[in-house]
Amino acid sequence: MKNFNQLNPVATMSRRYIQTLRFTLDIYRRLVAIQMRAQVQYRASFLLDVLSVAITMSMFFVSLALVFARFGNLAGWTLGQVAFLWAIVEVSFGLMDMIFSGFDPINFGRRIRQGTLDQLLLRPVNITIQVLGDDFVLRRLGRICEGFIIFALALKLAHIDWTLGKLLYLPCVVIGLVCFFGGLFIVGATITFWTVDSIEAINILTYGGSEMLSYPAHIYPDWLRRTFMYIVPALFLNYYPALYFLNKPDPFGLPTIMPFVAPLIGIGLLGAALIFWRFGLRHYQSTGT
Amino acid sequence: MITVNNLQKYFSINQRQQGWFGALRGLIKPTQTVVRAVDDISFTVQRGELVGYLGPNGAGKSTTIKMLTGLLVPSSGELQVNGAVPWREREKYVASIGAVFGQRTTLWWDLPVIESLKLLQHIYRIPEPRFRRNFAEFRELLELEPFLNSPVRSLSLGQRMRADLCAAMLHDPVLLFLDEPTIGLDVVAKQRIRQFIAHINQERSTTVLLTTHDLSDVEKLCKRVMIIDHGRLLFDGALQTLQDRFGGKRELVVDLAEAYPTVVVEGAEVLAHNGLRVTYQFDRKVVSASELIGRVSAQYRIVDLSVREPEIEATVRRIYEERLLDREPATKGGRGSGA
Repeated sequence: MKNFNQLNPVATMSRRYIQTLRFTLDIYRRLVAIQMRAQVQYRASFLLDVLSVAITMSMFFVSLALVFARFGNLAGWTLGQVAFLWAIVEVSFGLMDMIFSGFDPINFGRRIRQGTLDQLLLRPVNITIQVLGDDFVLRRLGRICEGFIIFALALKLAHIDWTLGKLLYLPCVVIGLVCFFGGLFIVGATITFWTVDSIEAINILTYGGSEMLSYPAHIYPDWLRRTFMYIVPALFLNYYPALYFLNKPDPFGLPTIMPFVAPLIGIGLLGAALIFWRFGLRHYQSTGT
Repeated sequence: MITVNNLQKYFSINQRQQGWFGALRGLIKPTQTVVRAVDDISFTVQRGELVGYLGPNGAGKSTTIKMLTGLLVPSSGELQVNGAVPWREREKYVASIGAVFGQRTTLWWDLPVIESLKLLQHIYRIPEPRFRRNFAEFRELLELEPFLNSPVRSLSLGQRMRADLCAAMLHDPVLLFLDEPTIGLDVVAKQRIRQFIAHINQERSTTVLLTTHDLSDVEKLCKRVMIIDHGRLLFDGALQTLQDRFGGKRELVVDLAEAYPTVVVEGAEVLAHNGLRVTYQFDRKVVSASELIGRVSAQYRIVDLSVREPEIEATVRRIYEERLLDREPATKGGRGSGA
């Protein structure tokens, strides 16, 4: 009996593709496992580190809560509602920072300067996976924990009417944000192929962006809000979904579909960033440093 | 194994200009200068050869190696290694080669050596029996036993280099690139690494391309050397040919039985005359050592003598400094020189 797969090139190709994918994921898992093991080697120090980050980061929210105690609300949003926005950004950014740390422009710039990217390029494994797997920062759990604490607070204060749709959509919003910030990291890392040092402009988008997304969009001046809607579509990733979760009307009168585009925008930006990354790699291979 | 034809690599470098006006102009319309890092190089390397690749800093050595390992795409020219074009299909190509860069490690800093090697087994998809066989062999040859369970960061330079060599050979590469494998090591450690390189070259017919500053590596290991400077291949041939052609002057040291007022001999120059010891300098093209000894002993009574060969180090230094080979196309001294 003839092998069916030999007669069907599409099946052969897809099988090979699946094999490669499985191999790549297996290597990723092993690389991440190494990172984790090295990082929790000194357990007390690790736990203390996570805890102290969680507490320090929560302090920012405590100071915001104190402002609320004086003014009652922020442009019509209660503390619980702002906490909801804030928590989603913190959890997402923490997750992203844990997974995409290899592409953090500062780390990646150092990698280029020290030539360790060449070491990775000499191994027969997908380069993107290696950059990700070589820098998995478990300590970012601190920020994620902080996000969860604030989320618990938001649940207590904001009285969200949970529906099945909302429950299912919540993780999608987080995925969208992780992809979005991860994409920004990759763009920033790729730029260092040309500049060697990481550039401040990208940090404004990542760190500034995450800060900005923690507050309701209608408090910002129009030009700033428009920039983050139509040029860098960050507000669709958090603010618009929050309108849906909190049952609030859209103050800017956009189509009612807008709260639901978050995962699409996030994944789209990550895809575009990966294409730019491929382009940057080709540039790196033709110029070196 | 390696075929290189008219290989070139140019880099455009933005030139910085003086003053803030210049800096501003540089932003708008940068002035670029072209650096020819590798300028029209051709050579071939056969399977099983062990070739030394020499050149001063910035000569284009590492640019060549980067192109051969697929890290850099050439500006022009042909480059084939083992039937593949290195920078196309990178992942497939690098699985067939090994590389050790003396300054950096491929191993994981925090991981015990043995676990790094096991991880590489997965990365290179080495079947278990083959891994075990290779590992058993290298572990003995490189004496890895004492530090197999130590994390890489705690190893000495020599230990790390041995672990790296093992790591580079586990997947049976047909071609091994070694960049300064003995840099910073003591004599014993150097010796061990050289033995290993000779072993894998002879026993496994692994083709080896060795870049080094340490010419005693080349002297002990390589029959063939290539010398590159200013991006051009200056010499490609047997080490002996290099020594014969550019070896410069040899020295004859004579201990006389009694003191003579003059010790002049035809065909040689007196370099030093201290009491009973005389040092002559002579050119192999003018007079042979035995002829000269004959002449000296015919005129003076000798107790002892010795001939000093010029060191390869001095030879190569002379080639760089006096630019002996400049403007001359790659000298075809040995087999396998390119077009």
